[in-house]
Amino acid sequence: MATLEFKHVNKTFGAVEVIPDVSLFIPHGSFTVFVGPSGCGKSTLLRLAAGLEEISEGTLEIDGADVTFARPIERGIAMVFQSYALYPHMNVAQNIGFGLKMAGKPKAEITRKVQAAAETLQLDALLERKPGELSGGQRQRVAIGRAIVREPKVFLFDEPLSNLDAALRTQMRVELAQLHKRLGATMIYVTHDQVEAMTLADQIVVLNKGRIEQVGSPLELYNHPQTLFVAGFIGSPKMNFITGEYASRLGVATFGVRPEHVEIVTSSPHWTGTVQFSERLGSDTYLHVDVPEIGRLTVRAVGDAALTGGETIGLAPQAAASHGFDADGQSCPVRWNAH
Amino acid sequence: MTLTTPAGPPAARRRPSGFARMRTDGSLTALILFLPPAVLLFTLFVIWPIFSAVDLSFYKWNGYGDVTNFVGLRNYEILVKNSIFHQSLFNSLKLLLASIFLQIPLALVLALLLYRKTSANTAFRLIFFAPYILAEIATGLIWSFIFDGDYGISAMVANKLGTEPFYILADKQWAFWTIIIVVVWKYFGYHMMIFIAALQAVPSDLVEAAEIDGASSLKTIWYVKLPMIMHAIKLSVLFAITGALQVFDIIIPLTNGGPSNSTHSIVSYLYTFGLARMNVGFGAAVGVVLFALCVGTAFTYKRMAIDKGGQL
Ligand SMILES: Nc1ncnc2c1ncn2[C@@H]1O[C@H](COP(=O)(O)OP(=O)(O)OP(=O)(O)O)[C@@H](O)[C@H]1O
Ligand SMILES: [Mg+2]
Repeated sequence: MATLEFKHVNKTFGAVEVIPDVSLFIPHGSFTVFVGPSGCGKSTLLRLAAGLEEISEGTLEIDGADVTFARPIERGIAMVFQSYALYPHMNVAQNIGFGLKMAGKPKAEITRKVQAAAETLQLDALLERKPGELSGGQRQRVAIGRAIVREPKVFLFDEPLSNLDAALRTQMRVELAQLHKRLGATMIYVTHDQVEAMTLADQIVVLNKGRIEQVGSPLELYNHPQTLFVAGFIGSPKMNFITGEYASRLGVATFGVRPEHVEIVTSSPHWTGTVQFSERLGSDTYLHVDVPEIGRLTVRAVGDAALTGGETIGLAPQAAASHGFDADGQSCPVRWNAH
Repeated sequence: MTLTTPAGPPAARRRPSGFARMRTDGSLTALILFLPPAVLLFTLFVIWPIFSAVDLSFYKWNGYGDVTNFVGLRNYEILVKNSIFHQSLFNSLKLLLASIFLQIPLALVLALLLYRKTSANTAFRLIFFAPYILAEIATGLIWSFIFDGDYGISAMVANKLGTEPFYILADKQWAFWTIIIVVVWKYFGYHMMIFIAALQAVPSDLVEAAEIDGASSLKTIWYVKLPMIMHAIKLSVLFAITGALQVFDIIIPLTNGGPSNSTHSIVSYLYTFGLARMNVGFGAAVGVVLFALCVGTAFTYKRMAIDKGGQL
């Protein structure tokens, strides 16, 4: 059992307040992903959980015990760094076993556990190598091995896959998901990557300027973003936002509809616009359409839409899948009947 | 870049010889232009003095007139039998050991305490580095004043304590210890700076990873920081070795080799018995021995410590 809870946590570096006031509960066995733009405090929050940074105010509890001032080793956590942070002068076996060695475990036990971890991560053939002699993906596995061998209560990952190429990232993503399933441990994961967040998480925490914008399951955030920020951050391509007179006629400050929720229609279009250019991915086509008085809209058409630019098309938003936000960026209902 | 299939016979594709390539890419011109001055300077200032010193060491020559009095290995024979030279060799060995086993650990400890960037650390670093900037002669004079049993600080201390004045620099048992202390005092800051630079280059996430792995600060130093700066330590030891063998201008103002020639280093021995007494041929012989020792230890050390470790 390992739960983790931030209670009114504040973090200040000198005069700079990076995390004003965060309260967050992370249930046992959850895979929680922190997302947010660069510099929003994801790493800082993770490092506060790890004990690498000191909490300025508030408390942190792991399994209900106050660990605000505990050293990292007393918290039962393990961390995987973006840079992997492998000890370059030690071989793979020594890297994985270092934590056990520091804990004063007997040699035989260390060897056995390192061997077991290496087998799960397919590293058994590489145990004698130094990190410099490994590929990026293998280094990543060693870093994960170093974390799992200590059987921590909570795993912390800071953008662990961001140095890998796309194919390897997909593969490691699947492996991480399997690892989580097998260990059943609580994991906190920081990423920039939408796909990682949506596929791995059972709970996503969207951060903005050190504040939590919304916490929820991936589809909850996708279907019911509570703020303009979350609406714009989750989903790719980005949600279309329409402000001005059109929005105010619907009783909102900003009207939002995702590109996949705008349909190309031939009869009684809601909007009529000119295709400026299209991105044809094969499976989908992203159309960038200029609609007079509304602006540029992105439309996602399934399959190859065979539109290359210059065509005039009719568009209609799916009313049920559209979003409204008030002047403060909070979600509010769209009043279609007023239209 | 596109690759085109060569039209000519296979022989035309053979890799051009080094010389032919150098001729076409202009590096031959560069070689002709830049190599002779380098070779000339190196010969003039490095090779030639070494050979002329070796040559001189076979003569008895007082520095004036022609070098004609060939004495063969006589200068070396004198050296081998000279007990003052033995003492000087032993002293240089003591300096070498002190440099490696006192100075470098001291520098390392201070570097570990001071490498983080804070204003207090910067101030301490400057203080510890200051002796290194000080001219050797000035260092010697300052310390000879401190140790002076009549007028110096030790005289004041003895006076205050009401004890007999103590002439440590004239004490055969302790004089060389003071020299060792002054040498360590003067040069540890230099090694400390090398270690500080190396420690600052250790990635902080390695240290954090060790913290997460549960390593105490001492264990982090032992298992992570020291291995990560091993290249700098090895380099420092090399500098310490060559430096220790060349100690000279601290000894002259402090003891001038005394009492009864018991505190000479190889170099101050060379100066005193070779140059100051106009035995230039003999001095050259000492110089050759010193050179051989320096090169010998440096290369042996490089073999043992550096090449094997694969770094530097
Ligand atoms: N040691 C520090 N001293 C001062 N400011 C810091 C320190 N560490 C982080 N910050 C600041 O805190 C803010 C949050 O940093 P953090 O590293 O948590 O961002 P992040 O969300 O992880 O960004 P990224 O996605 O780029 O990794 C940034 O504005 C950063 O400049
Ligand atoms: Mg970060």
